[in-house]
Amino acid sequence: MATRAQPRQLYPAGSAGAEALATGGAASAEGPGRSGPLQDETLGVASVPSQWRGVQGIRRETKSCQTARIATAEAAAQTWKHVDAEVQTEAPVPVGVLPASQYDGPRLAAFLRRVEAMVIRELNKNWQSHAFDGFEVNWTEQQPTVTCLHTLGYPPAQGQGLHVTSVSWNTTGSVVACAYGRLDDGDWSTLKSFVCAWNLDRRGLNPQQPSAVVEVPSAVMCLAFHPTQPSHVAGGLYSGEVLVWDMSHPEDPLLWRTGLTDDTHTDPVYQVVWLPEPRHSHRFQVLSAATDGKVLLWQGLGAGQLQLTDGFALVVQQLPRNTKLRKPPRGETEVGATAVAFSSFDPSLFVLGTEGGFPLKCSLAAEEAALTRRPSSVPLRAPAQLIFSPHGGPIYSVSCSPFHRNLFLSAGTDGHIHLYSMLQAQPLASLQLSHKYLFAVRWSPVRPLVFAAASGEGDVQLFDLQKSSQKPTVSIKQTQNESPVYCLEFNHQQTQLLAAGDAEGTVKVWQLSTEFTEQGPRETEDLEQLAAEVAT
Amino acid sequence: FLHPPPSWDVEETLKRLQSQKRVQVIMVVNTEGIPIKSTMDNPTTTQYANLMHNFILKAWSTVREIDPQNDLTFLQIRSKKNEIMIAPDKNYFLIVIQDPTE
Repeated sequence: MATRAQPRQLYPAGSAGAEALATGGAASAEGPGRSGPLQDETLGVASVPSQWRGVQGIRRETKSCQTARIATAEAAAQTWKHVDAEVQTEAPVPVGVLPASQYDGPRLAAFLRRVEAMVIRELNKNWQSHAFDGFEVNWTEQQPTVTCLHTLGYPPAQGQGLHVTSVSWNTTGSVVACAYGRLDDGDWSTLKSFVCAWNLDRRGLNPQQPSAVVEVPSAVMCLAFHPTQPSHVAGGLYSGEVLVWDMSHPEDPLLWRTGLTDDTHTDPVYQVVWLPEPRHSHRFQVLSAATDGKVLLWQGLGAGQLQLTDGFALVVQQLPRNTKLRKPPRGETEVGATAVAFSSFDPSLFVLGTEGGFPLKCSLAAEEAALTRRPSSVPLRAPAQLIFSPHGGPIYSVSCSPFHRNLFLSAGTDGHIHLYSMLQAQPLASLQLSHKYLFAVRWSPVRPLVFAAASGEGDVQLFDLQKSSQKPTVSIKQTQNESPVYCLEFNHQQTQLLAAGDAEGTVKVWQLSTEFTEQGPRETEDLEQLAAEVAT
Repeated sequence: FLHPPPSWDVEETLKRLQSQKRVQVIMVVNTEGIPIKSTMDNPTTTQYANLMHNFILKAWSTVREIDPQNDLTFLQIRSKKNEIMIAPDKNYFLIVIQDPTE
């Protein structure tokens, strides 16, 4: 709204004039009497309300909200009883001997007097009775034939053309492990190979996927599971080293190794065996036999190092002279050891199979020092006590009978099995099983007269000396193309199982028929009779 | 005619029993299962005594339970390889193992 100011000349400063000036508009409005032609007038303000726009105000409402009350309650809890318990398996304690107990003499005599006549009568009736003739009871499912339960293999190893050189069952009988390597001629010291284990009791067993695989930088020639630890396994390599793995730790399985020291074998290790330590019979040490003529005993120290504790060396000049042998080639003084077997009756007695084809009866307690040229940290001894009549070629396997203290078998490249008695140098029996090499022979752990042999013609032959001493009772064809079977082992816990590994890289687990797993009544006596045919 | 009277000595009796045809083992055990006399080594004897003891008591209680007026007089276990014979008594058990097969 504009107030038009008086455009006239300024009034002289006088209170009236100033007042009129100050209230210019209003005074003018009041005095409309003075009209003139150019009079300024002030009119009132004319306002036009908007018809389309409302007063914009902020509309406000007040509301409030709040979470409901949180309910709290207090309670206290505390265990007020606390028990600590530890569980550990203990090494089996040897059974102590009980003292003879006191008895009442006269009362005992009276008792015996009373029953003697009746007992003698019953005893006589018994051996004369025919009541039970031909009466046989079967407690287990009868298996009439031999069947192949599992065919196991490790495709990467098979792809490389590796052979299964050794199989071993663990102490519980549920895991079978095999060693991959090469058994033909060649330098396999840097051949990458494997040790694989399958847990046969596990559900969902995949035959092509072992439960544990260990990669090894050199070809593995032999394998042996620990006698009480279900996951420890020792292996001997082509390079001469001996390694111990723990198969339950796949990320870092290597427990101990010999390393390549002055003490290590210089030739491939063909057999490893676990032996109880002389003073602590619940701890074990590893024995290794190699073609450099040495049989060495190793013990695992804390730092992962296998330390040499004892050893033997076979030297030609120190062999016993009870049998005529072929003269060894000039310059060679070492006798290569290819197989070891310990007697189940005398823990210090063992049999060595050699490259020369003659088994040697040896003792851990031998005292004569060996004439070796190479120095060694532990003095080596000459172990041989008796030399047996040789095969026509190197021996690949020996096995001591678990039922008779004097009998053992040896198998060699001449295709023959010899049955020896420890008491004489000539074999008791010589059986030709194959026209090719024989790679392994093992006595059955339950039948005193049964043994199995692995042949170069691709079959596993089971011999029952009770049935026939000339030909095998059962010949199991393992490989289709006659490639050799290199190793076999009976399962000592589940005695109907036999594992065999071949040159195709497969391990087959065979279930034997009942005739091979159940002892007949007089077998031990028949075995004694066989052993007694020692020529005088 | 003048036969010497059979000696009732404990050792003599046991020797006579042992000399019977095809007897393998003779053992005398008391009612608690502790071996008194045996022709076998100690650990094996103890094992046999423990096993037989439970078996004998079970057989004895079975007979008595079927008929309380009855009593166990003799026990024989025939197995594939041998026969175990047991003569029981209030204080002792006599155990004889024989191989009856031809």
